[in-house]
Amino acid sequence: MAGAFGPPPFPFCRKLPLMTVLLLLSVILVIAGAGFFLGRGRALSRVSGNVRALHSLPGYYGWHAAIMTAMPALGILLVWLIAQPIVLERQVLPYLPADIVADSTERTLAMADVRRVAAGLDMAVSTGAMTEDEAGMIRTELTDVRSRLASVGVALGSDVKRETLQAAQAYRKSFGAAVLWRGIVVLAVALAGLALALRLTEPDFRARNRGEAVMLGVLITASSIAILTTVGIIWSMLSESLNFFSQYPASEFFFGLTWSPNFRGGSDLGFIPLLWGTMYISLVAMIVAVPLGLFTAIYLAEYASPRARAWIKPVIEIIAGIPTVVFGLFALVTVGPFLRDWFAEPFGFGNSGSSVMTAGLVIGILNIPFISSLADDIINSVPQSLRDGSYGLGATKSETVRQVILPAALPGIVGAVLLAASRAIGETMIVTMGAGAAAKLSLNPFDAMTTMTVKIVGQLTGDTDFNSPETLVAFALGITLFVITLGLNVFALWIVRKYREQYE
Amino acid sequence: MEDQKTMKDIHLEERVVSDHAPRITARGVNVHYGENHALKDVDVDILSGTVTAFIGPSGCGKSTFLRCLNRMNDTVANARVTGQILLDGEDIYDKRVDPVQLRAKVGMVFQKPNPFPKSIYDNVAYGPKIHGLTRNKAELDGIVESCLRKAALWNEVKDRLTAPGTGLSGGQQQRLCIARAIATSPEVLLMDEPCSALDPIATAQVEELIDELRASFSVVIVTHSMQQAARVSQKTAFFHLGHLVEYGETGQIFTNPRDPRTESYITGRIG
Ligand SMILES: Nc1ncnc2c1ncn2[C@@H]1O[C@H](COP(=O)(O)OP(=O)(O)OP(=O)(O)O)[C@@H](O)[C@H]1O
Ligand SMILES: [Mg+2]
Repeated sequence: MAGAFGPPPFPFCRKLPLMTVLLLLSVILVIAGAGFFLGRGRALSRVSGNVRALHSLPGYYGWHAAIMTAMPALGILLVWLIAQPIVLERQVLPYLPADIVADSTERTLAMADVRRVAAGLDMAVSTGAMTEDEAGMIRTELTDVRSRLASVGVALGSDVKRETLQAAQAYRKSFGAAVLWRGIVVLAVALAGLALALRLTEPDFRARNRGEAVMLGVLITASSIAILTTVGIIWSMLSESLNFFSQYPASEFFFGLTWSPNFRGGSDLGFIPLLWGTMYISLVAMIVAVPLGLFTAIYLAEYASPRARAWIKPVIEIIAGIPTVVFGLFALVTVGPFLRDWFAEPFGFGNSGSSVMTAGLVIGILNIPFISSLADDIINSVPQSLRDGSYGLGATKSETVRQVILPAALPGIVGAVLLAASRAIGETMIVTMGAGAAAKLSLNPFDAMTTMTVKIVGQLTGDTDFNSPETLVAFALGITLFVITLGLNVFALWIVRKYREQYE
Repeated sequence: MEDQKTMKDIHLEERVVSDHAPRITARGVNVHYGENHALKDVDVDILSGTVTAFIGPSGCGKSTFLRCLNRMNDTVANARVTGQILLDGEDIYDKRVDPVQLRAKVGMVFQKPNPFPKSIYDNVAYGPKIHGLTRNKAELDGIVESCLRKAALWNEVKDRLTAPGTGLSGGQQQRLCIARAIATSPEVLLMDEPCSALDPIATAQVEELIDELRASFSVVIVTHSMQQAARVSQKTAFFHLGHLVEYGETGQIFTNPRDPRTESYITGRIG
């Protein structure tokens, strides 16, 4: 068994497995490129250069051959790359003690050791500290493997166990073989695809229509990746949420008025205080962002000269490029203390620097460019003829804006505001730093409160058993938040769509 | 030949308008859109109590000149107007003149119908409301109804005054815009092809309206229909490639044009 594959064929492969994949990819692409010219040339030669006798333009035959070469080969390569680690693990496991293999955590750790030792041996061979034969034959009984490897710069945490070394040696052999076979199979598939494509290349072969089918496939794949991701997110959230609701009654979650997680169990996980905090902060944010954003948009769209517009718009949009964590710092060190010292304390609203007001204000500022740039586009899309009509009747600019342009743009603006609201609801960083972490049901805007997003982070990073309701509640919160913002977005898109129909 | 025969059939009554005083006097008007010299040295007098028709091939600058008369070109970013335009002896391009008030006096119906996305009622009531022309709702209702009647639209819309104006047909929208323009009672009314989307019946009604308006306003109408110009106007101006080629009494322009280009155009040889 030991010498069945002989020495690994490409010792360098193991060090840089990516390198061989890259190499393989480039070889496939080169063959595909050659396939293009072969396919085109063959198509042309079948009709002795008379292009009009071909069903499709010669280039299509070239593309057909190239795609037939590359696509199946790349597909096989992808599947191989996914399957290889699983298969390798299977082959190595018999070397490890049965009790380790039985436990999934121990098995993962042991496999990590095996890989590390295998990599150490690779390193030793490549630096010349060991010969290939030596690396395959050394025994823990005869050599202090740990210090041998340490001498070539591979540090191991503990002494190498006998079975680990054996497993690592087996791993190296299988790996080499796998890489060899991967290359052979993939290249064979590529060449077979090319041969088939060339055989199909006849004057009446509909290469052009094949191209359409391939194009369609590519487009569908691209869009299904996005959809599958969404489905995956929902699925993982949903299954964990269901797990949560099996441990904690849904009615207490949705209608409970107290939020006091206790990591020793017996927590109150009522979501109403979090919902209240989320909504209150978003409301403050919208009260700040909507008028400011809208007025900015009206100024930019209706009043600003092209020159003023050319520099004001980008400057405002810089705000959108500032990371929210920087906004959070601004809330924490500037806005919070300012509001506390000038408003909350003098007027007797409390003495908390973190407050709904702080977070709401800063989120509002963050959302100004979002609303202004959407609303600016919407106002600009109101036809000029409506403005002319109003001016032609002797209306002033502000009368025209109030009575003609805003009503015409209103549905679109409502859509923009709803999109901004769902952004405010999902904001995490600014709330963490600006509003505090106390879940509270209070009307005072200068009280510290918290939101669903903050608690999702808090509960997941807590130091408890993953399977306890205190942790799993994060998923229930997540999916609830997702439903809320999804609802808002769908509503917003629906309104925007209705608006589009008015002028098209 | 066909054409000349119909021309003779048209009643060329009441062509003597020389006793009317000029309301608008334009001298040496030039308009540039960026590099494009769209209007070249135009001199025209628009008389009070008169319908003036602007005719000429497409793109010759009729709309451009019309837009100079109520300073609508101010809203076109790259338009530059030079020369002198006097309304009742006052230079409308003077700094002291408020274009907003000017446009309330010199109303306009646009080439393309542009009803506001509001109800039919609110479209017509828009001007009276912003200028405070009425004291109460009943008065406003009265203005809306009479304007819609004058624009020959009342019978079609009287049962759905609250429906959106944008939901009307193209021709109805055009009449709605006419009603909207006359509701502010302008002293001069500029109409850019007001009948281009109308059927013969509605056209006849609008022409009747124009004739009525002449009693109190000056009307300027751009039209591509020679028959319409001959029917409704007392004065006609022929534009060609940005020049005002000929301006005179309608009867004279259609029966005895001085410029060969005018003659070719009205007999259908250039366009
Ligand atoms: N907003 C604008 N920007 C740039 N050029 C313009 C603009 N409006 C008109 N023009 C140009 O000015 C010239 C005259 O246009 P105008 O609209 O006055 O023609 P018109 O006589 O009304 O034609 P039509 O009978 O087709 O309505 C044309 O060459 C046109 O391209
Ligand atoms: Mg025109």
